[in-house]
This record gives sequence, structure tokens and C-alpha cells, in this order.
Amino acid sequence: MDLREFLKKASLAHGVSGFEFMDIASLAKDAMEGLVDEIHVDVLGNVIGVKHGQGPQPRPKIMLAGHMDEIGLIVTKIEEGGFLRFAPVGGVDQRVLPAHEVIVYGKRPLTAVIGVKPPHLTSPEEAKNAHKMKDLFIDTGLPEEEVRNLVRVGDVVTFKRQVSELMGDRLSGKALDDRAGVAVILACLDELRKYKVDADVYAVATSQEEVSLGGAVVSAYGIQPDIGIAIDVCHGETPGVPEWRTSSVGKGPALAQGANIHPKVFAALEKAAKETGVNVQKEIAPAATGTDAWAMQVTRAGVATGLVSIPLRYMHTSVETLSMSDIEGAGRLLARFIASCDAGFVKELKTWI
Amino acid sequence: MKDLIKRLTEAFGPSGSEGPVREVIRKEVEPYVDEIRVDAMGNLICLKKGSGGGKKVILDAHMDEIGVIVTHIDDNGFLRFANIGGVSPMVALGQRVYFENGTFGVIGCEKLDDIKDLRLEKLYMDIGATSREEASKKVKVGDMAAFFQPAIDMGNRIVAKAMDDRIGCVVVIEALKRIKQSEHDIYAVFATQEEVGLRGARVAAYGINPDVGIAFDVTGTGDTPKAHTMEVSLGKGAAIKVKDSSLICHPGLRDYLVKLAEEKGIPYQMEVLQRGGTDSGAIQLTRAGVPAGVISIPSRYIHSPCEMVDLGDVEACVNLCVAACESPLDF
Repeated sequence: MDLREFLKKASLAHGVSGFEFMDIASLAKDAMEGLVDEIHVDVLGNVIGVKHGQGPQPRPKIMLAGHMDEIGLIVTKIEEGGFLRFAPVGGVDQRVLPAHEVIVYGKRPLTAVIGVKPPHLTSPEEAKNAHKMKDLFIDTGLPEEEVRNLVRVGDVVTFKRQVSELMGDRLSGKALDDRAGVAVILACLDELRKYKVDADVYAVATSQEEVSLGGAVVSAYGIQPDIGIAIDVCHGETPGVPEWRTSSVGKGPALAQGANIHPKVFAALEKAAKETGVNVQKEIAPAATGTDAWAMQVTRAGVATGLVSIPLRYMHTSVETLSMSDIEGAGRLLARFIASCDAGFVKELKTWI
Repeated sequence: MKDLIKRLTEAFGPSGSEGPVREVIRKEVEPYVDEIRVDAMGNLICLKKGSGGGKKVILDAHMDEIGVIVTHIDDNGFLRFANIGGVSPMVALGQRVYFENGTFGVIGCEKLDDIKDLRLEKLYMDIGATSREEASKKVKVGDMAAFFQPAIDMGNRIVAKAMDDRIGCVVVIEALKRIKQSEHDIYAVFATQEEVGLRGARVAAYGINPDVGIAFDVTGTGDTPKAHTMEVSLGKGAAIKVKDSSLICHPGLRDYLVKLAEEKGIPYQMEVLQRGGTDSGAIQLTRAGVPAGVISIPSRYIHSPCEMVDLGDVEACVNLCVAACESPLDF
């Protein structure tokens, strides 16, 4: 499995929250083929691959959740001249929008730009402030009539951004939050071939994480797992951000600790990291992690959750930057963790400490 | 229909106190449905059985409205209150409110040096009492009040309080009356507590375990002076929702509704609402997931006592609802 190639393709794929079916879902599904025994897609568009274990029934059920949706924009109005007004889907930073190239998914994909007033025509007072989303617009270059023909209110928009292969093993691009998590799941499934595994593994490329955690809410209900591990991204070190709020890109995945994480799952993940020689960092999450783990934990009568994070810089911009080695490491430690899960461990998880 | 709108919008029903609204609706729908029950959250659930082989379909509209709840009564008989749902102090100031027992109050404000300091905490309610004892005879801490405004018939447009979401209730009631033939088991859910977190619909949907959910609720418009950017206009038809803050509608169901509207010649507009949620947000995340959508009634001045709707839009919503129920819903 060429993870790097997968991630480069996945980064370019279109999959704004709720619209994963337009591109990224089929890419995730194709990538899972051969690694799992069966695949289905549920009502909210979650792609669920099942790899059966060899343990005695009832086998432990482990759900892996990496969300495949990305933040993006949605058309709210078509204005005179064919300019498009828009709103965010998920946490879009309005300050980084001006001068972006975008793709408007109308009747056919349209390349467009987010235009702004030139500095020559901007007063010194105006120039002091960042552009607000409500003042920005998308220009497709097409005449109004044609725009009205091709685009309707509610069509979604993604950033148009090639993946940059930076020095070393670093990739930079859009939507690596959380296509990186999907890549980790694939790496883990691939690695699992080396192990004898008791548990049934449910590999889920979840939908709608960026807007509601909705994909994880319903898929976890349907699967009813004993253990749920979310794989998402955390903040990589960044100038101007205190060290304690970040993890280091390239120094291994981060294991989260806090109310959202079952202490025994955390301990078992840490142990698996040690056994596989994967360096890990700690991510402290006092309350909500803002990830699929938050939704999985309170599904039905409760699920023992863990969270493995890939350090990533410039989150929610189109130049999210990460290291491939962190993804590979996360895949290896997760496979080891899964192989260690037997009926006895699941029984232990039925209490918090 | 105008008479029903008037009776429903003038009924009392802040979130958690929907009783009077429930009784109006129960009487109205009784002849048109096969079973009626009320669940633990106060949802009124009415089943209109299908001819068989169809789906379990929820048609949801919420009964509750925004309002206020009494938190304190002072020595001079003035009442302090908190909001039930999204109540703006700008809208509340100077309004008349009423309690379920018929007591009226007016909303006054402490002296402000700057109108920018206007907050709900600066407001109080005056029920005409001169002491705590006198006030306590009529109102207790924890009692809820609704805004008081009679409905006004402007011809093709109607203004009232609680149009959010009694007009949705009207659409569902009218549809129940007009559906001629449906293979689907239609569960009309008149839900409670939408304004405080989509709470009634959440449990109703869990209990019913539907195959499809469609909510009927109001949505904002962008057609008033210097309004924020929004394509929806009053009078341009039923709004088929794509997204609001509570959900992204099921794309299959959304496009199915668009196709139905086009086939039947029902005026419609696409809707993206930037702020605000609907019961479908809760229905969608029920159990292992439910395909959910929303048919919205465009409304101006939402969450004020002067919510305005256009009867042409209401009619379009009813027609689309009936068309959906009479169709196979095989998206």
C-alpha cells in the first residue's frame, strides 16, 4: 500500500461535510477493498469496512474512526453579475480566504477565484482590517446567465490546492484534516495482516465530523463497538503558539488523555507504542476533544474510547502540513493495540478505572 | 386555513408548556388520523396508516414557542425573568406578555445610560402588582409567559407571534387533511422543546424509528432592507433546505423534493440558513441514522412577536408535503 500516493489523491478529492459521496467516499471505499472482508455505506454516508477476527464469539468489536469530510464553502446567493456569495461549512478561517482559487461544484465543476478589492482602491482605514466573509465573493468568470444555469444555492465549494511535497517526508495541502486519519486506518489494516487478531475491526471513514460529529454518532450506534478509537489531527508546533498547546510534527503520533479517553485504552495504546518502538507524544484534553471520540464515547450504554492524533500545522487552511512518518507510526501502533485486544481486555473496560 | 393560523398562533405554548397548543391540534387532526398518543416529553404523535408496503415517515413541526420564565419576585411586586429559547432584549422591551392563567404583564427596563448596555438582566416584568404578596397570588417563580400579540390578516400575508413554528403545524395539519392516498405510515409529530435544543423531536424519532424524516419549520429571508445575504424571499415558494446550523440535509431526499416540486409545478427556492437549527437535525442522528430533510416556510422577523409569512408559500409547502406523502419516496 502506497500511503503517500493515497494521501496525495485523498487531499485533492472533494468531500465537504455532507457531500462526501461526491468524491472522497468512493476513494476511501476503493482503498479499503482487499483490506477488509465487507464494505457498506450507511444513511449518513459513512464508509464502513469490516475485517472479521479469529477469536471465539462474541468477539471484541473495535471501531476505528477517521473522518473523510473536509471544511469548505456553500453558495448562499447568486448576485447581479454572476458573483457568488457564500457561507462556511465547518470552521473556515475567513482571514485566509481572499485570493484563493476554488472549485464550485455546480452542474459541472467550475474553477473560480475569491476576489477582493485591490489595495489601490482600499482606504488606509479599511486596509487595517482582515476581510470578512460576508464581504467576499466568488468569481467564476462566467456571464450571469450561465452562472445561474450551472450553479444553484446550496452548491458546495472546495479550495483548489495542489499537494506540495516539502523537504523530508512532509506533505502540505488541503483536507489533510482528516484524510490523514483515513490513511492511518489503511496503514493499520495493512499492518494487521502480520497479526493473529481476535477482534472484529470496523474501519470507518466517517462523514460530517466538521459540522456535527454526525457520522460517528450514527455509525457507532449501528456498530455498537466495545472500543472506539478516533484518529484525527492535533496542532503541530507553530511560531507564536505556546509549546504546551502543540505536538511536534515528525516526532510520532500523539495519544490523547482526559475525560474523553478511557484510561485503560490509553494505557494499552501506550503499551502498544512501546512494543512497536513507535515514539509517541501526549495530547492533554481536559474535556471535549472535538473529535469523533467525543460522540462515540456516549453511544448507547457507553463505549471505551481512545484518540490517536497526527500532529499537523496550519489546521483548517489549505496548506495543512504533516509528516508521513507520524501516519505510518500510528498505523503500526494501532495494529499492535488491536491484536492485543481479547475478551478479557473488553471485560476490564466495563469499568472506568 | 387563516382561522386555523389565528387559533394556533394565539395559543399559549413556550417550550415545556405546550399543553394548550397540543389540545388545539389534537381536536383539529382527530378526524384525519388513525392513532393519537402523547409521549413522555409531551410530543403529540399522530399516525395516519398507509395502504401498505411503504415507509415509516415522520412529518415534524414543533409546537413550542420562545418566551420567558419568572426567576424572582421583588418586594414591590416586580418580576425578573430568563429567556426560554432565543429572546432578544431589543425585541422583548416594551412587549406585553401573558401567562397560561391569563395574567398579563409588560416588560420594562432599568434606566440605561447607553442603549448598548441593554441586556435581558436589565429588563423586568410588571404585572400591575404593588407587592410581592399581591404578585405571588397570580404568578410563581418558574411560571412561563409568552409574548402577547393577536394575529393580523394583511390579505395574502399574515403576521403573528409564534408563527415559528405554528405555521409548520398548520402545514402538517393541512397535509393530513388533504392526503388522498399514501402507501406510507405517516407519523405526524407535533414536537415539544425545539427552541431549547430540538429535544422533543429527538425522543419522538427514537421511539418511532422512522425510514424518512421531514421537518416543517420557518426560515429567514434576505429580502428586507439591508438584510444579510440570503437568497430566500417571502412569496417565492416553499424553501427546500440544503443546510442550517443543525444539519446538512440528506442529498437524495433534498433532490427528490426538488424534482417533485418541478413535476407538480410547485414554486420552490433553495435554502441555506446560516444561523438556526431545526428538528431534522435531531431526527437525522437518531439511532443508526435517518435520511432527513426540511421544507421551510419563509418568514420575516423570526423570534419577534411579528413573524410574517406569505399564504402562497404556506400553500406551496402543503402541496409539496402532500406530493411527498403520495409519492413512493424512493430516492
